[in-house]
Amino acid sequence: MTAQYDALGGSGLQFFGKVSASVSHELKNVLAIINENAGLLEDLTFAARRGSPIDPDRLERAVQNFSKQIRRADEILRNMNRFAHSVDQFEAPVDLGELAGLVAQLAGRKAAMGRIQLETMPPSQPVVLNTNPFLVENLIWLTLEFAIAATAAGGTIGLVPEKSDGAVLLHITGISDMAGSLPGGMPAGHEEILAALGATMSPDMAGSRVTLQLGQAR
Amino acid sequence: MRILLVDDETEFVATLAERLSLRSMAVDYATTAQEALALIEEHAYDLAVLDMKMPGTSGLELQSTLKERCPAMKFIFLTGHGSETDYITGSSEASSYLVKPVAIDILIAKIKEALGKW
Repeated sequence: MTAQYDALGGSGLQFFGKVSASVSHELKNVLAIINENAGLLEDLTFAARRGSPIDPDRLERAVQNFSKQIRRADEILRNMNRFAHSVDQFEAPVDLGELAGLVAQLAGRKAAMGRIQLETMPPSQPVVLNTNPFLVENLIWLTLEFAIAATAAGGTIGLVPEKSDGAVLLHITGISDMAGSLPGGMPAGHEEILAALGATMSPDMAGSRVTLQLGQAR
Repeated sequence: MRILLVDDETEFVATLAERLSLRSMAVDYATTAQEALALIEEHAYDLAVLDMKMPGTSGLELQSTLKERCPAMKFIFLTGHGSETDYITGSSEASSYLVKPVAIDILIAKIKEALGKW
């Protein structure tokens, strides 16, 4: 598997960099909101010292903003931590529903920039396979990059894990312009990852979806 | 002097607008490009503070549209990216680029500088 990482060259690093940049951008926004609310409390304190009454409702809203942003930052960092640890093992049992949900959350801001929603549909039973978590994340990310670029603003892209005859599948649904975007639209690096994982990718033009066949279920 | 703030982070832009208002500045805010374009139909703005990355329309794209409709408008960009230098070549029309989180005194200094009121 080490050789497979080597074969990926810069694309794996690029993926890691994109996720890190997105996370740091999100955290900057969180800090900006906390900064403004802290500044507002300073402003209100300053005004109170000069005799202006403080509105308790305004204070409460500022405090609620702090709490909300702390929860938001905690979730961002938990996701980043899970992502960072996905390179710990070359092969591990992976719950595809959880992994797809993680990648969807990491890609959430990228999708939002195109005014697109990502929605993970959890399977009724866990879909688990032994695989390389980081490579699967990278493959899902690249497929989502393609799907986001090929979907009109306002659309919803679904991530649907499925176990079918023992095979583990992930359907990426709701891609509104499949025909106009394939075959050239897939980001560089996806073929190398498919080969490294022994996975396949099947576009379904009529169904507006791409199906990743990722291996055999445990 | 009337200022337009545009950022998709509602809690950020609303609180910043409130703080500038407490400093006796006339400020309105929008959380989308569409809202911003509606506001410029109602008010004449001297300067817009724009987030670089917003859903649907980027700060640079919005600046281009605003500039067409309000040629005298000045601009300051806010970015969540680590470095202003990432964007310095992005547009020659911008007065300044500031990285979030930004100290309000620095933002006000940049606003006054852009409007020649320093």
